[in-house]
This record gives sequence, C-alpha cells and structure tokens, in this order.
Amino acid sequence: MGIMGLMAPWANRIGPVLHQEERRLEPFHPGATDVGAAPADTLRAEDKTLAAECRSGDLRAYERVYAMHGARMKNLARNLLGNPTDAEDAVQETFIKLQRSIGTFRGRSSFATWIFRILVNTCYDARRSRMRKKEFTVEGENEVPPEPRSPGAHPSLRLALERAVATLTRQQRNVFLLYEVEGFRHAEIAEMLAISETASKNTLFQAKKNLRQLLDAPRGSGALGAR
Amino acid sequence: MNITCKDRDRVFEDRTEAEWSALESHANTCAVCAEEIAAWKDLSVTAAELRDYSENPALWQRIQRSLREESARTLERKQRTRWAALWQTVGIPWQTAAASAFALILIVGGGWFYLYRPSQDSSELLKSKALSEVERTESAYVQAIAKLDRNAQSRMENPETPLLASYREKLLVLNSAIDDLRTQAGLNPSNTHLRYQLLAMYQEKQRTLEEILEDKQ
Repeated sequence: MGIMGLMAPWANRIGPVLHQEERRLEPFHPGATDVGAAPADTLRAEDKTLAAECRSGDLRAYERVYAMHGARMKNLARNLLGNPTDAEDAVQETFIKLQRSIGTFRGRSSFATWIFRILVNTCYDARRSRMRKKEFTVEGENEVPPEPRSPGAHPSLRLALERAVATLTRQQRNVFLLYEVEGFRHAEIAEMLAISETASKNTLFQAKKNLRQLLDAPRGSGALGAR
Repeated sequence: MNITCKDRDRVFEDRTEAEWSALESHANTCAVCAEEIAAWKDLSVTAAELRDYSENPALWQRIQRSLREESARTLERKQRTRWAALWQTVGIPWQTAAASAFALILIVGGGWFYLYRPSQDSSELLKSKALSEVERTESAYVQAIAKLDRNAQSRMENPETPLLASYREKLLVLNSAIDDLRTQAGLNPSNTHLRYQLLAMYQEKQRTLEEILEDKQ
C-alpha cells in the first residue's frame, strides 16, 4: 500500500472539490483565484510604500508585514526546521535581518518574495548551526516535542509526508513547500531561490515524483515506515 | 490536441491548460493515466496537511521587542560612527589641509617643548639640594672627629689602664656601628632616621674621644 493506500481513508477529503479551492491560479484550474490578483504595478507600489515605512523605523509597518506573512513564514520555517520553537526563532531572526537590510530593498522583486528569500536562508543557517550543535550533544537530549496541529490534520498522513519531504534534496524541498504548501507561483519561487522558472517547474516535478515513490512504496519494504 | 501516455510526464512538469485538458480527456480511456493524474493531484492536496497557520500571539511581542533592541543598537552604532562619517563628508583637499595643520602644530609644539623644557623637576631639585647640604655637614663633622681620633690614637694603641682599654672597646663598637649606618645611609640617602642615628653615633664617638683626651691631660 503506497500513497494511494495511505490516503484511501481520506478519499472524501481529497476529492475534486478541494482541487478547485486551490488559491493559486493554475492553467488547469479555471475557477481558482490568484492571491496576487491585483495588478503588478499596484503591488509594486504597495511594496515600495511598505518598505519605505519599514525603512523609516515604523514598527507598525513591521507589524503589518507580520500580519500579512507571519503565519505563512512560521509554517514554512516549521516545515523546513521540523519544530515550532526553531521556526519561531527563525521568523524572529528574519525580521531582525529585514530591519538591518531594509535599505538594500530596491523593489525589483516583490516584498514578500524578498522576505521569504531571507527566511529560507535563515532556516538553512539554523539547520547548519543545529547540525553543528548536535555533534556535541547526545542524540535526543534537546529534542522538542512536536506541537499539536490543527484538529483537522491527520497525524499519520502528515508525519508520513513530513518524513518523505525531509528526504528530498534541499532545492526540491524548498520548491515543493513553497509551491504546494505555501501557494507561491513558479515565478515567485524562481525569484526567491534565484533559479529560473523552468528550473522551478522541473524541480517540483522531480520532487513530486520522488514523493510519490516514497509514499507509494509498500510499508513492509521499510521505505517510509522505517524512516 | 493529441496527447498520449508518453506525454504524461511532460504535461505534469510544464503544462498548458490545453495540454492538461487533453491529458484528462485521454485519461477517460486510459486507466493508467487516470490513476497517475489522480495520484498527482492527490499529492497536492495531501500537501495541505503541512499547512498550519495557527497563531501564537506571543511571537509578535517577541519580534517587536527584538526589533526595538536592534533599533537601539543601530542608533548607538550610528552615534559612535557619526564623527568618522562627518570626517568622510569633508572633501579630500580639506582633509589634506587639516592633516597638514595638525602635523605643523605637532612639530611646532614638539620643538617648543624641546627648547624650553624645564631642566629638572623642582621638588627633585630641592630634595637633592638638602641632601647634599647634610652630606657636606656630615663630612666636615667626620673630619673634625677624625682629628680627635688621631690625637687619641697613641693612647689607644697601648692602653695603660683598664679604663683606657674599656674606651678602646667602646670606640671599636662605635666605629663598627658607624660603618653599618653609613652603608645603610648610602643605600637610602634620604632616610632621615638613619641620618639621626648616624649623628648620635658620631656625637657619642666625639664624647668618648674627648673623655680620653681629658683623661690624658
């Protein structure tokens, strides 16, 4: 039994209706609405205004940034780092870096793209430093217990997916989480990760192919269950 | 548009609306493609399991505090570097002129100090003056006692009475004590206590020599 087997009890939840509720605009989802549906010029102007307010040291502007992106930032950080405590630290660090380098934001990319790029780099810095720390501590000594998720989430399905995502390459993990979980478009992901749009699409394809193999593998084979 | 099983991966990777519709039409007659499309879509839906946008109200408070602290640190750094920044705003010719003026002031000041510097510290001068006066007086006193000593020398070489022998012993002790004190005073010339002790010894020696000479008469 693979991914399909794993998801079989959830067949009702993953029916076609849900597909149409995806918020990202995709060519094959004519009914879907794009999050960033506002004209690009308007968005750029808003970004510049927000950046200027942040540059002036206005904490309310930062609060607005947090209100707009905080939840998604924390979610992405949690998926990259594996626990909520580290994720919150990463979000905090990202805001400090944002404050330090706000003067360098020129508005060539969107403000959100810029912030998430900082966040992704911060998460990988945190992962590296955690790996170094782990070398000096006994395994499991500082392990943070998993945070309870929203009631709707199915623990075994989420756990299986988390484990499978963790086995992907860094770039595949980034693209998968940004596209499928956070709902960014390939153009935005390309800007965030400094890759081409085509590379983003290709990486997502590879990531999903690998995930399918991992989740489809029979449980007895140990491909997923043993991880 | 004609789409076959072979095109499936390409459509998954970089699809257009038309290609996707064509693939779905093809899936109506192909069970394998239908299963693949369903699995592909399901993976996207499953990804929603990784979404958890629950709020932690304390997080923003934490971020706000750290942003305030960072602002304060930045301000402090700016104030520290303000003078350096001010210097950088001055043009190169002015910087050169200021550096030249500073160098000129250093040279003139140094020259003036070299020419008109005080030869010695005044307190040091007074101290050495007093000390040399003491040493001069002491030397005169020692010479006067030495004269008395020479006069008494003939009697001391061969003491005729037990009293003279006792004087001789006393003089030997006094001379030894004087030598010790002079050695110590040489190491520490400004020690007044030693000087007074030395003076007392000289006075005792003077009195002893006078008694010897009086006894002779």
